[in-house]
Amino acid sequence: MFAGPIQDLIDELSRLPGIGPKSAQRVAIHLLKSPPVEAHRLARTIAEAKDKVILCRVCFNFSDAEVCNYCSDPRRDRSLICVVQEAPDIVAIERTREYRGLYHVLQGAVHPLEGVRVEDLRISELIDRIDGSPALDGSGAGAVTEVIIATNPNVEGEATAMELVRLVAPLPVRVTRLASGLPIGGDLEFADEVTLGRALEGRRHLGG
Amino acid sequence: MRVNELVLEDFRNYADEQVRLAPGLNLVIGRNAQGKTNLLEAIHCLSGLGSPRADNAALVRHGRGAALVHADVTRVHRSLHIDLEIKPGRGTRALVNKTAVPRTSALTDVIVTVFFGPDELSLVKGSPDGRRRFLDELVVKLRPARDALRRDLERVLRQRNALLKSLRAADPSGVHAELEVWDRSLCRSGAAVAAARLEALRDLSPHASKRYEEVAGGGSLTLSYVSSWLPEELAGSISDGTAEIDASSLEEHLAARIERLRRAEVERGATLVGPQRDDVSVRLSSQGTMLDARAFASQGDQRTSALALKLAEHDLLSESLQDEPILLLDDVFSELDPMRRAWLADAVRDVGQTILTSAEPLALETLRAEKILEVREGRIDVSG
Repeated sequence: MFAGPIQDLIDELSRLPGIGPKSAQRVAIHLLKSPPVEAHRLARTIAEAKDKVILCRVCFNFSDAEVCNYCSDPRRDRSLICVVQEAPDIVAIERTREYRGLYHVLQGAVHPLEGVRVEDLRISELIDRIDGSPALDGSGAGAVTEVIIATNPNVEGEATAMELVRLVAPLPVRVTRLASGLPIGGDLEFADEVTLGRALEGRRHLGG
Repeated sequence: MRVNELVLEDFRNYADEQVRLAPGLNLVIGRNAQGKTNLLEAIHCLSGLGSPRADNAALVRHGRGAALVHADVTRVHRSLHIDLEIKPGRGTRALVNKTAVPRTSALTDVIVTVFFGPDELSLVKGSPDGRRRFLDELVVKLRPARDALRRDLERVLRQRNALLKSLRAADPSGVHAELEVWDRSLCRSGAAVAAARLEALRDLSPHASKRYEEVAGGGSLTLSYVSSWLPEELAGSISDGTAEIDASSLEEHLAARIERLRRAEVERGATLVGPQRDDVSVRLSSQGTMLDARAFASQGDQRTSALALKLAEHDLLSESLQDEPILLLDDVFSELDPMRRAWLADAVRDVGQTILTSAEPLALETLRAEKILEVREGRIDVSG
């Protein structure tokens, strides 16, 4: 055990995700050995980020303004909403440069074990967005026509997708789900059968 | 497939031991509590399914941080090197040819074993849990990727049970739209697991029946899948091959049963139906009557059935993998009468690599072992 303030720092750091006691100790020692200005800069940056970053009023992405960059960008296609679990998922989809629509961040997935239920997700806000979309500029143009569900392809993500379908289906929009299937550049013979089965299920019509 | 060389470091009572194994029958002898079973356990770990009898913590030598197992193995015509690092509470890390595999169950692609010890002798007599595990492991040995199906089902069940528990606490008589999503997840994963099990059982049946006739000198053994949600006729016609295995029809049967149990499940706060509660029944016929082996067969017949099931597993895997799995027989001879002993000694001849332990030198005479290893206090000596 270290003396008071050092141990306090280690304890605080080790509460962060992905940082165990050893890493926490290494980071703490590094901070203590570095010039005071560096530690102060880090402390200030954390505090500033925490103070300035809020959730976008429309899509619940992290943002430093009331409405985030995507939601306020007039070049984006307002008829599409891609629904993701967490903000970093947006970064992943943006990297594809394939998608020019809007987003909606659920802030999680249903997870009864951790006490996360449907009402804890931002689903009612999504429904309001779809319902209210023509009224936003009064013209009716830009109304949402398609909701793309991009939750994770695991047990909790799939359950969340089913909830979304149940709740969004009564509305006059197309509901789609990201396909799951084969990795590009891979060989069919090396694909595991569960993935291959999913790929077969979601096969695409090419002609004929 | 076979293990050519095995190195154990801090594994159970082995500090640092190296042993070469013969491609055929290896006999491991020694008094009790010297480390014979530990040797089989290490080989079983190479197959990625963990220890057949204990958790990781028990595998590490007392006072040490990690156990290491290194092996040179042959699969078809490929020579591979496997390294395992087993840490209590941290799981097992596996390398194949010095490259990390994503999860240890991927080792099933390289090494497959059939383990038979005193506990397996009660496979037929024991609880449904043991028979489900037997069948689920067979599924994974046949198709390693199907391990994901069982993991998904377990996860769905944990989530669904948590939800049922909180519904019970909040509003036991309400309408639970939220539950429907988990019902569908359960039907989907449950049907996938059941379909995989039914397929494995259907393919195992003829082998089991043949092995039983051989060892019992007549009579017949029938395996069937027992489930509260799957109609008996359908399960029956799937196992005798007259009906196809159709996952969507299984899903419908499971859904219908869940629908009927909805109220009871919310009241109990737990899932009451699904493959996690299914079983395999073993029935024996002699002189024209069919009997449930678990309830009515003699202890000897139950053991004969268990032996037939494990050897059938070996037969099915040999046929399906086009390579013989490694047979691990842990001190089973001492548990058998002379007639069954003689039969088993005959059955394990020419079935690929076999490692057999015995505390009794008696068993030696009937077996023609290629190699005899003597274990004494965590040291292994070649004695013949």
